[in-house]
Amino acid sequence: MGETLLEIRNLKKYFRTGAGMLHAVDDLSFKIPKGKTIGVVGESGCGKSTLGRTILRLHEATSGEIWFQGQDILKADKRRMKEIRPKMQMIFQDPYSSLNGRMTVRQLIAEPLIVNKICRSRREIDEKVDEIMETVGLSQRLSMSYPHELDGGRRQRIGVARALVLDPEFVVCDEPVSALDVSIQAQILNLLMDLQEQRDLTYLFITHDLSVVKHISDEIMVMYLGQCVEMGPSQAVFDSPAHPYTEALLAAIPIPSIESKHKRRTLLQGEVSTPINPGKGCRFAPRCPRATEVCRVQEMKLREVGDHHYSAALCQNREYS
Amino acid sequence: MSDEKKLLEVKDLSIAYQTDLETVHAVNHVTFSLNQGETLGLVGETGAGKTTTALGIMGLLPKRTAKITSGNVYYEGKDLLQCGKKEMLGIRGSSISMIFQDPMTALNPVLCVGDQIAETLQLHNAKHLTREEIEAKVDETLELVGIPKERKKEYPYQFSGGMRQRVVIAMALINDPSLLIADEPTTALDVTIQAQILSMICELQRKYKTAVMMITHDLGIVAETCDKVAVMYAGEIVEYGTLEDIFTGDRHHPYTVGLFGSIPSLTRSARRLQPIEGLMPDPTQLPEGCAFAERCRYCQEICRTTKAPVQNDHGHLVRCYFEGQPFAGEED
Amino acid sequence: MNKSSSRRRAQIGEFWRRFRKNKVAMLGLVILIVIVGMAVFADLIVPYSKCVEQLGADKLQGPSLRHWFGTDELGRDLFARIVHGSRNSLMVGVTTSLLALLVGATLGASAAYFGGMVDNIIMRLIDIFTCIPPILLSLAVVAALGKTLRNLIIAMTISCIPGTVRLIRSVVITVAEQDYVEAARSYGTSNARIIFRYVLPNAMGPIIVNTTMMISDMILSAAGLSFIGMGIQPPRPEWGALLSNAQSYLFTAPYMLFFPGIFIILTSMAFNLVGDGLTDALDPKLKD
Repeated sequence: MGETLLEIRNLKKYFRTGAGMLHAVDDLSFKIPKGKTIGVVGESGCGKSTLGRTILRLHEATSGEIWFQGQDILKADKRRMKEIRPKMQMIFQDPYSSLNGRMTVRQLIAEPLIVNKICRSRREIDEKVDEIMETVGLSQRLSMSYPHELDGGRRQRIGVARALVLDPEFVVCDEPVSALDVSIQAQILNLLMDLQEQRDLTYLFITHDLSVVKHISDEIMVMYLGQCVEMGPSQAVFDSPAHPYTEALLAAIPIPSIESKHKRRTLLQGEVSTPINPGKGCRFAPRCPRATEVCRVQEMKLREVGDHHYSAALCQNREYS
Repeated sequence: MSDEKKLLEVKDLSIAYQTDLETVHAVNHVTFSLNQGETLGLVGETGAGKTTTALGIMGLLPKRTAKITSGNVYYEGKDLLQCGKKEMLGIRGSSISMIFQDPMTALNPVLCVGDQIAETLQLHNAKHLTREEIEAKVDETLELVGIPKERKKEYPYQFSGGMRQRVVIAMALINDPSLLIADEPTTALDVTIQAQILSMICELQRKYKTAVMMITHDLGIVAETCDKVAVMYAGEIVEYGTLEDIFTGDRHHPYTVGLFGSIPSLTRSARRLQPIEGLMPDPTQLPEGCAFAERCRYCQEICRTTKAPVQNDHGHLVRCYFEGQPFAGEED
Repeated sequence: MNKSSSRRRAQIGEFWRRFRKNKVAMLGLVILIVIVGMAVFADLIVPYSKCVEQLGADKLQGPSLRHWFGTDELGRDLFARIVHGSRNSLMVGVTTSLLALLVGATLGASAAYFGGMVDNIIMRLIDIFTCIPPILLSLAVVAALGKTLRNLIIAMTISCIPGTVRLIRSVVITVAEQDYVEAARSYGTSNARIIFRYVLPNAMGPIIVNTTMMISDMILSAAGLSFIGMGIQPPRPEWGALLSNAQSYLFTAPYMLFFPGIFIILTSMAFNLVGDGLTDALDPKLKD
């Protein structure tokens, strides 16, 4: 594996709620290799969005370390953060609510440049904005439009342009295509992949859609109630899922092919709970078809099950291996 | 196909939304039919006119702006568009019922779920059931959708998204409708919950022989649940046929091909997707020719000037001059 | 530099074009200009001496060529009193509303945006103020500080701060939850810039409407204070005072009630219309 861009060690983010501590991100450690895409999948409430926001310090982490360019950014002071911020950007899910409706397309894209005082003159800003608009496929005549006048795909292109105008190295993509129609979704996915090739970008790609994550990611992390249950190279995770939850997720996706007609499949019972004051033991155990007594009491640790492929399950998946 | 009795028949239906400034042609000359116990998938992207079609059938279009400009909707041989308000009230919710996309807003937060379900029954109460019988029926329906009947005294906020959708489905099913319109019933839910809900709908359908009109943008859901599929684009049905026709047939509408090329596949690995470039045409000024012409790779001069006729291949209908195109994957 | 200033001008031009299209708002603007003009050029229209000059012979005269709006019980010319009264009334109305807006926006926006402790402290203080009836609060302040115009303005501002803080806080909370605020933070925008460039512009609508309503409210409460002798001191004219004075002569000289009443209504209506027009013209979503 290549050079590591970002290393996350024992990252925790807890929220205080009326009912107790909500373990949104609970003790995650992983490395993000440069120029690659790591996909984070899980259902709503599994902490995947919180993870992205904690890495960018939009939420302050409860504990842990995030190493970026030889420094723990969680310990960086305000001044140092100002230097790091432009290198780590984010693309948001909802291309409408994430754009300030009072600004024109040009203003929206120029804003990060102005805030970070990157450019010396107005002219330089204009040039940069023109260039990035061209790159993401927004035509110049749209520059004085407001976001509400554009369709979802174009709006999301603004979101991409705004994230990339600062020339970041690392981009957190938080469900960037979930709000879009399939044909537009494909356009944006292709754009993101092209940009990655051109600019050697590193993505943390957060999504609930397994087919999207498989398509775009080199590595995959599956999260359940704040914890990582399985992690490994994309191909390995999809071909031989080692955790019962991953397996259930894969089985749940409706596949657009004629063979899936009235397919009988093993359904996961129950629903996701919230990780408030979780006990020891596997958090998936209450829904797991293979859970044993041990699963409910023993603390789960990631174990290597293949080449760079880790799983937090005690059982081994025999069907696939 | 022809010897079975048609439960629902939509003929040449057109619906437009009229505002002071413009006319939005939401649905244009849509024709399809549905037999008892069958599932029809209505697939398309946002703005394709799927929901408007459903609302048109239900008679739930906004009175002030929407106008049905042509067509008929026959339900058991009766034209629903000619029905009076009162008659429609009797049909809606009892013979035809609808499930909406968002289970979070579809329930009244100050009524407990048992009462809400009972209310739909009382509204129609064709069999003049007594209080006890209604209670029994509510319990039965709750069990049917997988909610323990002890929970009927609870309020919607005590239910999760998946459970709420079950409640909504219970409300839709309690009058034993013969047609169920499901408008993106699982879009707001997680995949594992979606799988539970979908298999439940299918099971109930098999059990009670209910016809289902499944509105979705997800071809995977279509493949799993539907018998017939109508692909909609810019208010038109561009391709219509059995599930086999749409998923394996030799010839397709270029839009269907594009739709399949746009979804990342779990089974096939391709480095790049083949999206449909461009955008759907503005529904206020639809082009004279084929609505898809602007985005079509195979577009010819004739496509821009005149609407293509429907090509019929044993019930597999494709609205294209060139009898459609094979799938891109097979062609490359 | 040139390009940006011309762009700025283009935006203002665009805003004006949209405002002008709104006929009702334009009507409000015209009325407002007339009334403000009347206040500014009061001395040119009619000398101040005319409104304190007591003509014993002309007591309670109806409108005539000599006294356009008639005279009051002391024989003072009502037209002159209304023209000069506009100065005091507008002054009290506009200043108190703007001051309340300034303080209210700062407190309300910080409470909403920073939340937690800041929110708690500000809102509990506001709660204390809310416990005292506004009129009593104003009375207490004027009684303590003395009966001057400045103190009256301070007193009235304090009495309408709680409402403003609450309104602005609730509006800002909704706006601050939007994704674009988080997006702005993700590319390193400072808190001040976020508040002024993201939160406030998007919270503008209700705030403008509230402020314009407040102006007319304030003119009326100033009248109330004048009535119990705590407001603007006679013989200085003020619309509210004219109105309360008129009620003793309701049946003998109804015009005394009519003219100041018309002016108060026109002013508050004009402010409301302009406020609505502003809100619409500033919102790019309502373009054309």
